[in-house]
Amino acid sequence: MSGFTLTLKATPALRLDLRGLTPGALAALGAAEVEKLPVGHGNALEPLAEFFTVAARSDDTLLLQGELSRCDFIGWQMDGGTLIADGAVGDYAGGAMKAGTLSVKGRAAELAACEMAGGTLTIEGDVGDFAASALPGSMDGMRGGTLLVRGNAGARFGDRMRRGTALIFGDAGDFLASRLVAGTIALAGRAGAHVGYGMRRGSIVFAGPAPEVSASFVPAVAAAPVFWQLLSRDLARHGGAFGSLASRGFDRHLGDVAAGGKGELIVVR
Amino acid sequence: MNRNGVTIDETFAEAFPMKATRILITAHNLEWARHAAVAATGFATSVIACGCEAGIEREIPASETPDGRPGMAVLIFAMSGKELAKQIERRVGQCVLTCPTTAVYAGIDEGEAVALGKNLRFFGDGWQMAKMIAGKRYWRVPVMDGEFVAEETTAVVKGVGGGNLLLLARDTDAALAAAEAAVAAMKKLPNVIMPFPGGVVRSGSKVGSKYPALGASTNDAFCPSLVGLVKKTELTSETRCVMEIVIDGLTEADVGAAMRVGMEAGIALGAAQGLLRISAGNYGGKLGPFHFHLHKLLAGGAA
Repeated sequence: MSGFTLTLKATPALRLDLRGLTPGALAALGAAEVEKLPVGHGNALEPLAEFFTVAARSDDTLLLQGELSRCDFIGWQMDGGTLIADGAVGDYAGGAMKAGTLSVKGRAAELAACEMAGGTLTIEGDVGDFAASALPGSMDGMRGGTLLVRGNAGARFGDRMRRGTALIFGDAGDFLASRLVAGTIALAGRAGAHVGYGMRRGSIVFAGPAPEVSASFVPAVAAAPVFWQLLSRDLARHGGAFGSLASRGFDRHLGDVAAGGKGELIVVR
Repeated sequence: MNRNGVTIDETFAEAFPMKATRILITAHNLEWARHAAVAATGFATSVIACGCEAGIEREIPASETPDGRPGMAVLIFAMSGKELAKQIERRVGQCVLTCPTTAVYAGIDEGEAVALGKNLRFFGDGWQMAKMIAGKRYWRVPVMDGEFVAEETTAVVKGVGGGNLLLLARDTDAALAAAEAAVAAMKKLPNVIMPFPGGVVRSGSKVGSKYPALGASTNDAFCPSLVGLVKKTELTSETRCVMEIVIDGLTEADVGAAMRVGMEAGIALGAAQGLLRISAGNYGGKLGPFHFHLHKLLAGGAA
């Protein structure tokens, strides 16, 4: 089969840039070719074998092992297949990914899933700031796919997010879903300050404690039971606090009217 | 062939390819889902002048619908994909969007996508919102009872239209009884509709007319009032009333199955109840690619 296990030999002196190491790109290569792939180390490009040992696998999975917290851009633009990072990873994990399954077994640092467009990204640990958001300077954040964060999220989660579904099983930092364009964010734990700051459209579901809602949101007069059944049944398949949503009541707050927004904060009772 | 006193003609029904879709209408309760479905399938007996042929396929229990509310499955057939798209938009826009509490979903996933809520969303005047849920796109349009939820598209598939049975009976009572029994049996099957009023049509037609402007005209060979007057009649002094059942289905097998159970229901009544003969309408086999031979259907074989 075409999978590989890449094991980091030692913590690198500088940050490693692993963009290009996707299951699809490596599928057609032999182990010797994989060892020669260029990897960014600081401001230099060096062969992958300088940092990783390469072993072919009996399946199609690309597995990264070792202390990966200085490895950035894991799964960057991946377009299919299965990639597993067996531990904490650096910045931009799953950034701009289009398809496939990326699983991070530990914490992901800043900008995880930024501009993600498809596929499924699961992060077993926490994520840093600006997850599911836009690249610095870009207008649109996450635009498709499913992001599951089993731990807590940092600040500015989903900033400028436009489409897709992102679930946080733990708590979220300040400015959750700031400037949200559209899409769905669901939170099981506690939210920080200023949820939905400047949001235009989209839905934020609070399955746990009610957040502090800004005065720039208006309480919804009408319920949205049909839409709620469609959404909550889809979220329910992820289990946890989201498993029972369909049978629970909720209040909605619409806004952010300070930004001309018509999005909704769905606070489950 | 004779079954229970009923003569089964050695003939076949001739049917045509059509474009079809299924839409699923849900509402706060079954009553309102039915109101929407009845309205949306109204004036849809024949493509000759209605633009499409449509009917209610079945009731859908709340446990099987996307939003957990009771619903109705509706099948719509047209002669072209373009005409079907037009009919869907008009019918859903005027009869489902307008009906209290309804929502509308695609009832078929595989096939060419045509607009369902995609254009109706503009009714929202900018307040409409799209939502992607589990890979499907929905529109939420604000309306006076809350919001109208519509899936963006439904899928168009190839269907079969024009399967038919002619039930020749002793009198009106017997013909109606046989037709009603046949329609009731057919309605239990999935993937088919009988688009005429009550599933039954009394004005069966032949191709052509003495008037050049008309493409079809009354099927004089089966008109009891013309026995003795026309050159060729199919009727006798015994068979004085004829009813036709037209069947549209998603596949050839579905139409064949409906014709079979319809015939069996008529045969069960038998000559004792006044059903004397079962025939079918065709055009010599040259126009439509689907031929449903009555004897083969009753023998359980393929059409």
